Formats: sequence, structure tokens, C-alpha cells
Amino acid sequence: MNPKALTRAAAFTIALIALATIGSELFASFKQLLGSIGGHHWIGKSVLSIFFFGILYLVFARFSDDELSLRDTWLLIGTVILSGLAILIFYVLHA
Amino acid sequence: MMNPLIFVHALIAEAGLFAFLWVLVELLNPTETRIRRAKVAAVFGLACLLTAWLAGGFYYVEVYGSQIKPVIKGSDAKWVHSIVMEVKEHVFLFLPVLATVVVTMLYKYGEGLIKKKDARLTAVLLAGLVFLLGFSIAGMGAIISSGYRFALEAGLV
Repeated sequence: MNPKALTRAAAFTIALIALATIGSELFASFKQLLGSIGGHHWIGKSVLSIFFFGILYLVFARFSDDELSLRDTWLLIGTVILSGLAILIFYVLHA
Repeated sequence: MMNPLIFVHALIAEAGLFAFLWVLVELLNPTETRIRRAKVAAVFGLACLLTAWLAGGFYYVEVYGSQIKPVIKGSDAKWVHSIVMEVKEHVFLFLPVLATVVVTMLYKYGEGLIKKKDARLTAVLLAGLVFLLGFSIAGMGAIISSGYRFALEAGLV
């Protein structure tokens, strides 16, 4: 396992979850597309998060060394905080 | 009466979150024995979160949407669904990803975590993040349960 690739894949996957969450509320057709994956848009997001985590790991593992740095860790933590806040603010504004 | 799936979902998820707190504590001052215990705790925690994902997901799709959501949305506490539940169900998806990174760090570096400070700090920070984020989500679950009870007691539906 390449820890740098895994950390970066995790950061991008979490950002994609936030984008998919907001995008599915803004575009009904995208929500329908997600719903067609498993019968419900939340299942669609769940399946896609697993899929993209795996794919992104393979992509990053191909192009990066496996020397983890704290920069990657802070990138992941920052992405979690910003993605969580983006989802929260979006639903507060659209409630 | 509370649906047993909710009980299973909450109990298993919280066991998983405490497992990641355990990982954090073991890694603060690691030895070979503590890292072995941290590995067991992390795998147990990840397994719990994956099980909670399945149990909670099944409940959300099969029960919540048809029985609970209409009651909450028909009350003065409709924000409980439109803000709290929406945030909870989506932010939860971050947890299995973060937990997988922690487990991988422990198995990739093993006893090397004693010397590799960056990797150890990464595992400690992410285990702490899983614990804090997870208990924020558990708090949201408590708000949703309260919102449902409020809606029922208000007799608006």
C-alpha cells in the first residue's frame, strides 16, 4: 500500500462526496442518475464513494512516491473540515 | 417503540468510534505491544463502522424515508430533516474512508510507527478525527430522535 496515494485518494473522495451531495440537490437529473445506481441517491453516493476511492488510489499510486508527509495529512484534514462545512452551510441556506 | 435497527446502528457505530479513540491512546506513546493492540482496535473499529453503514443505510432507505421523514417534515421541526439528517447522512460517508486510511497506516508501518513520526502523527490525527466527527454525527442522531418525538407529541400529524 502507498500511504501518500491513499491519503490523497481519501481527500479527493471526500471532496467528491461533498460535490455530489450539493450537485444532486441543485440538479434533479444528477440526483436521478445517482438514484438509478442503487434505487436511492444515498446508495448511489455510497457506491460511488467506494468506487472513486479505489480508482483514485490506483491513479495516485501510479504517479506518486510512497513517502508520506504531514502536508498530505493536513490536506486530508482540511478537506474533511471544508467539505463538512460546505455540506452544512448548503443545507442551512436551502432548508 | 424504537426500531431495533436504529439501536444496532447506534451501538455498533459508537463501539467503532471508541475503538478509534483506543487507537489514538495506544499511539500517543507507542511500543510494539501497544501497536499490536492498536491494529486490533482499528480493524474492529473499521468493521463496526462498515456494519453501522449497512444497518443505518438499510434503515434510512427502507424505514426512515417512508415512516419518520414525513412525520418530521409535517411538524414545526422540519429543519431536523432538511438540515440535520441531510448533513448526517452525507458526512457519515467520510468516516469509512478516514478509518480505512488509519487501518492502512497501522499495517503499512507497523512497529515502524515508533520511529516514523509523520506516519504516527497522521494515524493519531485521523483516529481523533474519526472519533470527533463520529460523535458529532451521533449527536445529530440524538437531535433527529428528539425531533421525531417532538413531532409526535405535538400531534401535528
